[in-house]
Amino acid sequence: MRKLKWWQQLWYQLGFVLIALFVIVPIWGMAQMAFDASVRGWPTEFRLIPREFTLDVFRAVWERPAQTLSFLGTLQNSLFVAGGAALIAVSFGASLAYAFARLRFPGQQIGLFALLLGALLPPVALMTPLYILLSAVGLRTTLVGIMIVYAAISMPLCVWNMRAAFQAVPKEIEEAAFIDGATAWQTFWRVTLRLAMPSIGVAALIAFLIGYSEFAIGWLFVDKPGNVTLAMAISNLQRQIGTASWSHLAAAAIMMSLPVVIVFVVLQKYLLRGSLFGAVDE
Amino acid sequence: MSQKSSPNRLLLIIAVLAVTLVALGVRLYAVDKLPIDYDEDDYLRAGQLYATGLQNGDWSVFTRENYRTEHPPLTKLVNGLIMAGLPPAPEIPNRPTSADPARQLPQPHLDKVRTVHSIFGTLEVLVLSLINPLAGLILAVHTWTIKYTSQVMLEALPALTSLLVVVFYLKSKGKFNLWLLLSAIMLGLTAAAKYPYVMVGVAVLIHWLWESWPGREIRPGQSDASAVQWLRPIILWGFLALIVFFLADPYLWPDPINRLRDSLGYHGRYATTATEVAQANRPIWEPLVLLAQSVPWNSDVFPAPLDTFTLLFAIFGLKRLWQKHRVFALWLIIVFVFLLFWPTKWAQYILMLTAPLALSAVEGWRAVVWEPFSRWVQRIRSVGVKRPTCPQIKNAWRETRQAFPWLVPGLIALGLIALFPLIYQLAMSLTDLTSSSLRDGMRGGVWRAVGEGLTGQAKPVTVIVDPFARRTSNEVHYAGPQLLLNLLTGGVADLVVFEVVWTVSAVFLQTALGVGVALMLQRAGVRFKGLWRTLFIVPWAIPEFVGAIVWFNIFEPTNGWISLWLHKPFPWQQNPTTSLVVLLIAALWMGWPLMMLASLAGLKMIPPDVYDAAAVDGAKGWMRFRAVTWPLLLPVLAPVLIIRAILTFNQFYLFYAMRANYPTLTLSTAAFYFFDATSEYGGQFAVAAAINIFTVILLLGFVIWFSRRKQTQAAEVY
Repeated sequence: MRKLKWWQQLWYQLGFVLIALFVIVPIWGMAQMAFDASVRGWPTEFRLIPREFTLDVFRAVWERPAQTLSFLGTLQNSLFVAGGAALIAVSFGASLAYAFARLRFPGQQIGLFALLLGALLPPVALMTPLYILLSAVGLRTTLVGIMIVYAAISMPLCVWNMRAAFQAVPKEIEEAAFIDGATAWQTFWRVTLRLAMPSIGVAALIAFLIGYSEFAIGWLFVDKPGNVTLAMAISNLQRQIGTASWSHLAAAAIMMSLPVVIVFVVLQKYLLRGSLFGAVDE
Repeated sequence: MSQKSSPNRLLLIIAVLAVTLVALGVRLYAVDKLPIDYDEDDYLRAGQLYATGLQNGDWSVFTRENYRTEHPPLTKLVNGLIMAGLPPAPEIPNRPTSADPARQLPQPHLDKVRTVHSIFGTLEVLVLSLINPLAGLILAVHTWTIKYTSQVMLEALPALTSLLVVVFYLKSKGKFNLWLLLSAIMLGLTAAAKYPYVMVGVAVLIHWLWESWPGREIRPGQSDASAVQWLRPIILWGFLALIVFFLADPYLWPDPINRLRDSLGYHGRYATTATEVAQANRPIWEPLVLLAQSVPWNSDVFPAPLDTFTLLFAIFGLKRLWQKHRVFALWLIIVFVFLLFWPTKWAQYILMLTAPLALSAVEGWRAVVWEPFSRWVQRIRSVGVKRPTCPQIKNAWRETRQAFPWLVPGLIALGLIALFPLIYQLAMSLTDLTSSSLRDGMRGGVWRAVGEGLTGQAKPVTVIVDPFARRTSNEVHYAGPQLLLNLLTGGVADLVVFEVVWTVSAVFLQTALGVGVALMLQRAGVRFKGLWRTLFIVPWAIPEFVGAIVWFNIFEPTNGWISLWLHKPFPWQQNPTTSLVVLLIAALWMGWPLMMLASLAGLKMIPPDVYDAAAVDGAKGWMRFRAVTWPLLLPVLAPVLIIRAILTFNQFYLFYAMRANYPTLTLSTAAFYFFDATSEYGGQFAVAAAINIFTVILLLGFVIWFSRRKQTQAAEVY
């Protein structure tokens, strides 16, 4: 391709600036409020920069985003629930994904189809059945209960991703392990799993993020303030808007998203591969 | 046709007669049964004015009166002629257009006029079934078509004449002859019966220009005379139509220009100022909503409420209709686009396109059901079903045993957390489970009710979908598949159509922006690529519901950025079209970065020499993208597109956080509101479950369709 002339370069950069504005302006519209001490309740005037710069809002949110829990408390719940959900989804899904990727058995196509059905089901559809199931075993209102629900939501996608990850491992390496006398289990545990680990990590991360940002289902299950997750606390702030301040909501949303954004920026290449569902094998 | 043997012709005649009889029977039944509707008193009164004039020998009534001047008088004249032969009736009062349906109208005048209209409707079916009997049958039972050709409306006559415009035009083969003359006369009558129906003339015009376009053969340097020569038939056609229109509209005779201007100008004013239009507040995709459901009122009048399937098949058949009967396809498309942008969204307007719609539905039926089915039957006949042999079974058993330990943990988990919910939802949708019977339902009442129902021990009860109905029953009852059947036959057509419009436009916008920016970023020599890319992925990293809150802050109706900036409220939720735009902006922001990254990954895999080859062939710009880049990119994007389409279809947090209103909700959001006991409609668990099952059925259809399409495309490429 030819080199760009300076005015072409200018057009390109102008285009990028426009798109960057589309990306940034909405975020800024919210972020500036979190630093503004003059916003009490509703914002009442259009502002591009805070009137009275402050960090108090963040401090207040840090201390108490939900009724009784501190920010760290809700974050802890979030990490527990989302991390556990990711762990369940990955560990129960891994062998299944491997079977679909490598083994041959009757009903394989139907099985894949059923997996897809799970992914097609809107999350809301899981609520009543799981509500009843978890009530039956007495887990419904516990954090473990929510963890299982979130695992259910992310598992079909997780299996799908890991299947792609296992398929990407060269068959020759497995065959070599077989020839060296490894059993099927040893081959899986020692060879395939290790090689697919980065992609499995990505699948786990995606499952984690689903649990980290879910709130609507959580609210239907939780009945004590001590079990509120961060996403649930923020959704509650939004629901109570009017009594709670918008700047609090903004600050909480930023505090929740910042770690995720950093993770995404750092790991973008790996995360992308996990989001392409096996279409690209680099 | 002439080559066909006589038994075939006999069969055709029998089919046409049978379809016509069906159409007539159904319409006469509707004439008898349908209650008096809006506007019927208006058009009956208009006819009565003419009839009274005729009976008194006052011929000037034709040039003096045109009650409801916004519509031309031809149908009203017909009404007048019918009523002139009947004994005079008390005068029908003059009431505003927005008035409720009249309580009572003079008999037998109402029935007689309705009957004549229904005969026009039957003739339309007869003409269409001469082209294709199956299309005739579809039109014969199409509920909207039955309804508005069996009442005293304006639709029956122009629907018939507009079909005749096309049929005579096709007969003429575009030459100036008797058939084209007849076509022009029909167009004039169409215009004199109801203005919007002349869109059929636009379709004919475009088709004529397209077919006879001389530019392909004739080289430059031709004289202007040839252009006149070329256009002569169609100019004569249009001119003749205009004369017929004028002759058939006696109200215009005394003062043509001013009266025509008044009459036409009314529509613009009505659409922008009438309170009933503003109150109805219909989205621009309303024509699709209407076509996607059968007439929701007076369901006992219509024998086969299958309009939903007519639309579905028509969509699948459009491509073949385009190849086979291009003028009908043009008619369908042009009128549909017209209806999208025509601000008045009354249901009767869709009769402008039901005739080509029925033809398209036939093509869709052939392409989607009939031909695959007959191919399958042929294959079965020629090959027979393969039975597995003994070694194959043994082999399968061995494979299963090997795979078994791998499958068990995952299958148990998946079964409990994905398949069990699916089955349970299906069971719930067959009951009347609500918040008041939840306790019973959770203790196995759902299974008991379904079991009783399926073994015939319990009769299905009727589910009342009404948040304010008192729900006192503590027990779950079997309700049968009524909720599912209702959904499948267009019961929530407005939500489904919104879903489709929403998913298609959201995925399209995200893909367009993502691919576009990826192409820009991939161009050699562009500076700061890494910086821009990192900046652009930020919305991808932000959790969906935080993204929704970000946009809620912008668009909040009274205190959001936009309304503070404008110093006035921005009530976007109250208008479906504005809602769609606002939600699309937010969805575009959230979704395009992933499409950009996926496109970047895909673009990297395209070898540069492909472009060199394309450059040799002279492909540039859009051509190069269309012919080279996109086909190579699509296989990479396809899985992402599928998943994105599914997630967009099931999008929930955005709609929840933005507080979107009915009917701009996704099905899963609606299911949540029906489920959530704290919401206004909440606690209707059976309804929520039925919606969820319905969603899965729709998505399953989409996935199967998409994978088939991909297969056929792959077969075409390789």
